[in-house]
Amino acid sequence: MGPLSVNELISENTNLFLAFIIGIGFGFVLEQSGFSSSRKLAGVFYGYDTVVLKVFFTAAITAMLGLLFFSLFGWIDLSLVYINPTYLTSAIVGGIIMGAGFIIGGYCPGTSFCGASIGKLDALVFIGGLFIGVLIFGLGYNLWDGMYMAKFLGSPKISQTLGLSDGVFAFLLIIIALSMFWVAEWAEKKFPREEY
Amino acid sequence: MKPLKLLALFIVPMGLIIAAVPQNKTKPYKLTADQLLGEANTRTQYIAPEAVADMIIKKDPSFRLIDVRSQDDFEKFSLPGAINIPVSDLLSDKYADILNQDVKMNIFYSNGTITANEAWMVTRQLGYKNNFVLEGGLNYWFDAILDPKKPASTSPDEEFAKYDFRLSAGKALGGGLTVQTNQNQSTESSKPAVQAVPKKKKVSGGC
Repeated sequence: MGPLSVNELISENTNLFLAFIIGIGFGFVLEQSGFSSSRKLAGVFYGYDTVVLKVFFTAAITAMLGLLFFSLFGWIDLSLVYINPTYLTSAIVGGIIMGAGFIIGGYCPGTSFCGASIGKLDALVFIGGLFIGVLIFGLGYNLWDGMYMAKFLGSPKISQTLGLSDGVFAFLLIIIALSMFWVAEWAEKKFPREEY
Repeated sequence: MKPLKLLALFIVPMGLIIAAVPQNKTKPYKLTADQLLGEANTRTQYIAPEAVADMIIKKDPSFRLIDVRSQDDFEKFSLPGAINIPVSDLLSDKYADILNQDVKMNIFYSNGTITANEAWMVTRQLGYKNNFVLEGGLNYWFDAILDPKKPASTSPDEEFAKYDFRLSAGKALGGGLTVQTNQNQSTESSKPAVQAVPKKKKVSGGC
C-alpha cells in the first residue's frame, strides 16, 4: 500500500495485515483461474495453453495505460514511482534460470505456493527446490557477488533507451501484445493437447 | 477469438490517445524554498549508516560515496570507495556529471552532517536528483558501525538485531577493538579501517 505506508498514514503492522489480505485475494484468484496446475503454466512453452501469457500481458498493458492516463490527468507523478534498478548481467542470468525452472517445474514461485495450498505434491517438491536454490545463493554469495552486481544501469526505461515518448512506446507495446495474443491463440489451435 | 477482438477494440484506441497526447511535464525544474524546507524537515535526504554499511559490504554498485570534506581530510581517512568533492568545489564543471545524473545514488558525508547537508541543499536547489546525506556523518559512523554499544537487556528485539548487524558490519569494515581503543576519530586509528576492507566479507548475506 505504497503511499499510505511511506507517508506513515498507516503503521507497518497495518501494512503487513493489508498485504496479507491482498495476498489471500491474489492466491484465491490464481487458484480459481487454474494457475495452480503446472500443466497450464508449462503449456505456454509448448503452445497448448497460453492463458498465463495472456493474463500477465493484459495486466501489464492495463496497468501501463492506467498509469499513463493518471499522469496525463495530473493524478500521479510518474517521476516518484519506484522503478526496480537494472543489473543487466543478473537480470539475464536470473531470467534464464527462472525460465528453465518454469519449464522443468511447471510453476513460478507464486503459483507453487498456490498449488501447495491445495495439496499438490509437485508444488511441494518445487518449493523444496526453491529453498535449496535460496540456500545455494545465500551460502555461495561470495562466489557470484561480482556477477550479481555487474552492469548496473540505474533505472532506465525502455522508452528512454529507444528515444521514444512513453505514450508512443505504450502504443507499440499494445500492438506487440495483441499480435502475441493472436499468435498464442493460433498456437493453441495448432498444438492442442487433449488428455488433461 | 471474440474476447481478443473486444480487448483490441478497447485498448488500441486508448493506446492511440496516449501516444498522441504530449507527456505531462508540468513539474517545476527548481524547487521552491517551501518545497526545499519541506524536504529538509521530513529528513528524506538521510541514509542510515546501517544501509550504507550494507551496501559497502555487498559491493552494491548502485551508490557512490562522496566525501565533501577538504582534500587533506579525505586523504587522511575516507570510507571505502568514496570519492572526494570538497564542498567549495561543488559547482565546478568537472563534477557536474557526477552530481547531476539519474543512475547512481550519491551519498554525501562529512564529519558531522552540516557540510554534507550544505552540499545536498545546493544540489537539490539545482534540481539534481539522487543526492543523499549519510545520517550523522563520520562521527556517528564511528559510534554506530565501528564501535556499537550493546543495548540494555530490557531493550526490544529490534535493538538487539540492529546491534548484531552493526557488530558484524563493523567487523567486516575493519572496526571493532582497533578503533575502540581511541575512537576520537584520529587519523591513525582510522587507518586500519580502510586497509582491512579486502579481507572481510563475512556478513554479505544481510538480506
